[in-house]
Amino acid sequence: MSARNPGTVLDLNRICKVRVNPQSVLKRAQQIQGQKIPKKQWQAAWLLKAVTCIDLTTLAGDDTPSNVHRLSMKAIQPVRYDLLKKMDMHDKGITTAAVCVYPSRVADAVKSLKAANSSLPVASVATGFPAGQTPLEARLQEVRMAVADGATEIDIVINRMLALTGQWEAMYDEIRQFREACGDAHMKTILAIGELGTFTNVYKASMVAMMAGSDFIKTSTGKEAVNATYPVAIVMVRAIRDYFLYTGYKVGFKPAGGIRTAQESLLWLTLIKEELGMDWLCPHLFRLGASSLLADIERQIYHHVTGQYAAYHEMPMV
Amino acid sequence: MAGSATKTVYEIFQSMEYGPATPSSTATAQAWLDHHSRSLGLFIKGKFERPANRQSHTLSDSKGNALCTITCAAEGDITGCASLAVTGHRVWSSLTCLQRAKVLLRMVSVLGQHGQCVSELCEMCEASCSSSALVRLLQFYSGWAQLRDTLMADWMPLDVVEVVASDDCSLYSLMLKVLPALAMGNSVIVVPGRSTAAPVLLLAQLFTTAGLPAGALNVLTGADISLAVKVAQNLVISCVTYSGNKQDGVTLCKATAGLGVPVSVSPCIGATCPFIVFESADIDSAVDEAIEAAFKKKKEVYWVLCVQESVVDSVVARLRLRMAGMKCVPLLSDAHRALVDAAVQEAQQQGATLIQSSTAPPPGAQYPPTVLCNAASSSPCVVAPPPGPLLPLMTFRSNTEAVTLGNHSPHGQAASIWTEDLTLALETANSLSVGSVWVNSHSVSDPCLPSSGHKDSGTCTDGGQEGLYQFLCSSSSTGPPRSSPAPMNYSVFGTAAPPAIIPDQSDSSSGPPSYQQFVGGKACKSASGCSVAVQSPGGDGVLAYCPDGGRKDVRNAVEAAIKVQPGWMKKSPTARAQSLYSLAKGLESKKQDVAKSVVIQTGLSTDEADKEVELSVARLNVWAAYCDKIQGGSLPMPRSGSALSFPEALGVVGVVLPDKNPLLSMVTLLGAAVATGNAVVMVPSQKYPLPALAFIQVLQSSDLPAGLVNIISGGRDQLTAALANHSVIKAIWYWGSAEVRTRTNAQISSMNSCHLIILTRVLLGPPVPPAHLHQPPENPAPVLPRGRRRDELDSVRAVLPGGDLEKRRPVEERVDSYCIRNRENK
Repeated sequence: MSARNPGTVLDLNRICKVRVNPQSVLKRAQQIQGQKIPKKQWQAAWLLKAVTCIDLTTLAGDDTPSNVHRLSMKAIQPVRYDLLKKMDMHDKGITTAAVCVYPSRVADAVKSLKAANSSLPVASVATGFPAGQTPLEARLQEVRMAVADGATEIDIVINRMLALTGQWEAMYDEIRQFREACGDAHMKTILAIGELGTFTNVYKASMVAMMAGSDFIKTSTGKEAVNATYPVAIVMVRAIRDYFLYTGYKVGFKPAGGIRTAQESLLWLTLIKEELGMDWLCPHLFRLGASSLLADIERQIYHHVTGQYAAYHEMPMV
Repeated sequence: MAGSATKTVYEIFQSMEYGPATPSSTATAQAWLDHHSRSLGLFIKGKFERPANRQSHTLSDSKGNALCTITCAAEGDITGCASLAVTGHRVWSSLTCLQRAKVLLRMVSVLGQHGQCVSELCEMCEASCSSSALVRLLQFYSGWAQLRDTLMADWMPLDVVEVVASDDCSLYSLMLKVLPALAMGNSVIVVPGRSTAAPVLLLAQLFTTAGLPAGALNVLTGADISLAVKVAQNLVISCVTYSGNKQDGVTLCKATAGLGVPVSVSPCIGATCPFIVFESADIDSAVDEAIEAAFKKKKEVYWVLCVQESVVDSVVARLRLRMAGMKCVPLLSDAHRALVDAAVQEAQQQGATLIQSSTAPPPGAQYPPTVLCNAASSSPCVVAPPPGPLLPLMTFRSNTEAVTLGNHSPHGQAASIWTEDLTLALETANSLSVGSVWVNSHSVSDPCLPSSGHKDSGTCTDGGQEGLYQFLCSSSSTGPPRSSPAPMNYSVFGTAAPPAIIPDQSDSSSGPPSYQQFVGGKACKSASGCSVAVQSPGGDGVLAYCPDGGRKDVRNAVEAAIKVQPGWMKKSPTARAQSLYSLAKGLESKKQDVAKSVVIQTGLSTDEADKEVELSVARLNVWAAYCDKIQGGSLPMPRSGSALSFPEALGVVGVVLPDKNPLLSMVTLLGAAVATGNAVVMVPSQKYPLPALAFIQVLQSSDLPAGLVNIISGGRDQLTAALANHSVIKAIWYWGSAEVRTRTNAQISSMNSCHLIILTRVLLGPPVPPAHLHQPPENPAPVLPRGRRRDELDSVRAVLPGGDLEKRRPVEERVDSYCIRNRENK
């Protein structure tokens, strides 16, 4: 595995030169959506790969220790043991990539996982999620507290005001400070692409976020009107590729929001494989932010194994 | 992929491979072939005919397995088919526009039922055409069938049209010719190539189901292109149109030359097209689309990637990353593999470096996608690309150099340019001499976007309204008369010595006057210094001597013309109009001199001669008026974005003038060519050259740039040969006399070129109001050229018909992505 992205100095010259042609990006997205998806055991294997990349998420006002506990348990055993066994995958460590919760629930998740003897990382959103409209000091403090509670991954949101008004230096400085506050915890930067306006802005924001030392860039919070779409993802992964060519560091990608079906998860994997290549097809560099996706994937795997379509109640509840 | 079915989930989980492609079913198409006992007949008069004792020809699929046999049509079949096609045309053309449109629309629903069979058959035969693309064609041309009489009121169908395809032509390109011909009310005889034979037979059968009258669409199959020539020899064929590779197109042109049948050629297969990436481009998208365009399994054109030097590293880095996991592309045969290997090796020897998905290409008829970085523009992989997934990459320094690089090719079909800079996009699109320019996209095609080529890339326009005119004739003029097929002796054409006539008079002081020709803005003698005598109308005396022009005079004239033509084209339309108005005025002031020359030359009465001069003045005024009325416009686009068309001059045009109305015909053609931005080299009638030579004094006193109009007198054949052998000349409008039964009305060839020239009479009548701005040469004036085409052996180069006077190039534009295409106006 390659080293963690340390970030670079802010190269504004590089940011200025960014050109994105929306029509071509849309066409490319259509092309990827039109690709044939794998069948039979290939589909099963791909779906399991998708499972291992999921950040199993609950971000609701009514989260309590009990549903966070259930979520953590599901993350450890995301697919029914008997189904995995039939595919000879029961001993291959199939878990989701992480559980993702609000800062106040980090302690609950850490506790549940520890009790189950699991080292699954706990991710926490922070920095005034989802709007990011709180004072910088408060946002930094939020990061520090989540890390103190045991979160090893922090999903931060960028300050959209700075991105929309083109204050890339200020945005770079903020993210730099977040990264410092994260310490050893990995930082995923949420660009909230639904609120950035243009593809070019998405590309620039991605570049700034990576230069500031993000370990992942993430499409959206799941709370905006527009969430993870394929065209935007293409723009972001191209920025990742550009950054890789420029610095040699691989930054991860996390689409989040609105990903609900097994079919979509396969398309996301295809997109990553096509645009970034095999290296990115692992939980270190690719995550899917989702909550209900897992249930659908599990049903598809059930169908692959048994030839029958399962009802949701046949799958363990999240 | 041996053993892939046994791969475990865990193995795939680690390798994350896609899995084997599920082979598409071919059951429906196989069933159709079985129904015909795997032996397809000829399709004549609405049904399959299997005449006895014919040779058969086996078709095989891409893996070499025999699919079915087709019948090779013999002489008798051609004659029978041709006469049935005439009957078919009678029935078909007597229907109303609405009825014809309905047949085409019914075909859409028939395809709805049998689309699966059609696409499977296309897949098996490698004719690459989806059933949705056919539906789009049918809908478009059904609309034109319905609107023909409304939007093109003065036009009539020709009669029987022969549509020819080469072995590697796609069904789409073939139907892009068949459907407009049918929609305009012609009957069609299709002579398909190997790939299209079976699908087009199926379509013909389906058309009968859709209610197309028997005989309106016939299919004759054979082993090679020689069948197409035999069919063209039949006198009922009124037009031959060809789609496919250049080689067969040239063969067809050579063999049909002299038959008096117009031949139009769309060599859509095998052209080399530049893919230009500027530093201001969205590099990622450009790289993606370049990969998509260049490494398709079945591609019709060869792309050359031209990248601005400042971004070449970032393009190469992206190509490397994107191509890393790409699979090999199957080739047709091991022979193709050998060609690819040889080309790659040669390129490497010239210093090219490779970007390849796998380091050692696996053996067999396949090759990995390969980019040849730093390819030399002289390298065989650029000049004569082998059939394989190769993409040569060249660099350029500046925007101007990009255009030079893009234009430096015998082809002129299309180009794709990548930049987010609107000004640069428009400038580049206008400077590239290709038929279509796609901005930030590539290979956008739709029947509503006309496509045509510059240089070697074709002599006609397909698609759009312009594409319909090759299947129509103006109701005010008839088509050219068919001459009997006389073998053309290319080696002696134009080499006959001029007749030596020595005047009887011995008194040199009162001897016949000597005229001069007009080259590069100067009145002069011929380069050889020789003259020929001009006989009086009665043929019993020498009226005058005119220069006996030849190859060198043509060369000098073309050199002068090509120097001023670009500047003339760039002049504002108003300025061009002013020059023509003043030319008209000049003619008016020299009226008497010119009229006198008409009287002396033709023996007309003074009144008649005056009338001809007056008409000529009026004609120049008409063309002056047209200068700022010829316009491009925007076209509908099949996807988001927009398409623009720009009118464009051809360049230097050769004109061989008719005998009839020597002054009026010359002025009309001169006006047509010059008004639309061309330069001309004119050859006056050999019989009646004096009015044209008298007109030189008018030209001398005009403000037309020197060299824009050149007049060279002398032997028509030798000058025609000289014009045809000059590659700078983009078109020749040729009028021979209709009654000529000798080879003069045919074609010329020399060592490496063969030209087909077909001509029509000049008609004289009352001026008709121009109905269509877009066909300036056809309509604005009664004396109208309806010349046809000429082709060249190693460059299928057009003599464009009168209608192809100027080219129009559309620009497709959208806020952030532009698609520019050029087309010829027809």
